[in-house]
Amino acid sequence: MMSGTGARIGAGVLVYGILGVMILVPFLSFLMMSLFSVDGVVIDRTPTLMNFERALSDPVIMGVFWRTIELCAGVAVVATLVAYPVALLLQSLRGTARFVLLIAITAPLVLSYVMKIYAFRSILGGNGLLNRLLVGIGVLSGPTDFFVFNLNAVFLVLTVLLAPFAVLPIFLSLEKIPGSLHEAAADLSAGRLHAFLTVTLPLSRPGIATALSFTFVMAIGDFVTPQMVGGPNGFTFGRIIYSQFGLAFNWPFGSALGVLLTIVVVLVLALAALAGRLPGGTSR
Amino acid sequence: MTLSLTARTLLAFVTAGLLLAVYGPIIVTIAGAFLPIKGGMIQSLTPSLDAFRSLGKDPGLVRSVMLTLVVGAVATMVAVGLSIALALYAVRRGGRHARIVAFIVFIPFVMPPMVTGLSLLIFFRDLGIDRSLVTVTVGHVVLILAVAYRLVVTRLVDLGPSLIEASLDLGASTWQTFRLVVLPNIAGSLAVAATLCFALSFDETLVTLLLTGTDSTFPIKLWGMTRLGISPAANAILAILLLVTILLASGGLFLARRNSTARAD
Repeated sequence: MMSGTGARIGAGVLVYGILGVMILVPFLSFLMMSLFSVDGVVIDRTPTLMNFERALSDPVIMGVFWRTIELCAGVAVVATLVAYPVALLLQSLRGTARFVLLIAITAPLVLSYVMKIYAFRSILGGNGLLNRLLVGIGVLSGPTDFFVFNLNAVFLVLTVLLAPFAVLPIFLSLEKIPGSLHEAAADLSAGRLHAFLTVTLPLSRPGIATALSFTFVMAIGDFVTPQMVGGPNGFTFGRIIYSQFGLAFNWPFGSALGVLLTIVVVLVLALAALAGRLPGGTSR
Repeated sequence: MTLSLTARTLLAFVTAGLLLAVYGPIIVTIAGAFLPIKGGMIQSLTPSLDAFRSLGKDPGLVRSVMLTLVVGAVATMVAVGLSIALALYAVRRGGRHARIVAFIVFIPFVMPPMVTGLSLLIFFRDLGIDRSLVTVTVGHVVLILAVAYRLVVTRLVDLGPSLIEASLDLGASTWQTFRLVVLPNIAGSLAVAATLCFALSFDETLVTLLLTGTDSTFPIKLWGMTRLGISPAANAILAILLLVTILLASGGLFLARRNSTARAD
């Protein structure tokens, strides 16, 4: 630590070397792969934009691409809408009640991902518990196939699985709002709803932005959920990418689709960073 | 913030709904572990532990749990060790270097796991390295590094440079300073980091699915078991996992809580 220039350079080389080999070079190989092509089972390393041209001009792939974005945006919005009241309640609780609710919300986050989807799959399905329950209490006259292994099932499962993830960032941003602001709002005789709309909601915007972007990114990168509850027709973009690395065996094309996915993710994260950073609209 | 009774009731209603949606399927599935199920129908209401007994007799399952524990332990140790080195470097150099290190470390964490997994898959193939538990472990390290790094860096910044400078001024060597001053002061953060990293690694599915060779880790084994339909064994595993998870989550939160109170003192 009492470094001469030599030691400092050595440490720098080591640090950036590790980061380069473990993180940067793999991501570069991924980007490069999207510019290659396949010839049978051999990968031809002549750079070409063919994969991107093919993807962008294929109506089936583009259809799935936009549908997946729509689906994940929907998941993000609904998950955040559900998460906000939960975060609000969590923030208002004290002591043991708060601790218990916090555990109830966080425990599913670390519970095996595959098992959560499995649990869902065993109650969905034409003959599943959800259908029987809905018929039993008279909501439906007969079993519906509305959520039986299609995109609706994917939407439902992703929303429920991701909503707890959305609670935490909103909760943290609510915690950061100084109590004095609420008192000030009360002193100025703002009604509770008015105080919420003009003080709490705008100041929790960074949390909302994080919750929206985080759930969107998690949903769009998932291929296990669609595979397990999407059935044969519930195709998502992630599933198509995954298939290129499996049965279809076209790594360059799969990588190009992966790059498109990455661009969407980066755009959404940039947007969220911007939305979270804008000065709060407290004057409205 | 104070809430009116109406608001509180509304919030509690939504919260109950979410908890029901999250836990409902899990509880139903766990109940299925104790009841004999055939063809999606409950056969009788006599609880039995057969599903649990059958677990111990599945050598592939026991082995996958062992492998997952090993991968998790190795990945956690490597990630926490690396994060200490990276954090010390970033905090010491500060400015631009700190920002660059943080940026690179966070790339795999922010990107969808599928992109990270595919990148490593292509990278290993370019190097001619076959998929195995080693590639899985590397994948886990890359993913969980950000979590460990974040916790260690935050603690190091809180600690400030004065203790380290004092130690060096008093004639301690760099290694002595690290072992006797830095390490004891960041121990709490390291414990939290290790717990979180291990939990993340234990459940990692997406990257593992892309990087694994012939050996299955536990989530991959589960993925194989559950793809075919409902199995009592899988139900029994879910019951055990939920219990372990709640214990771990409470333990982790407890540690985090103690750590933050210790810091406040």
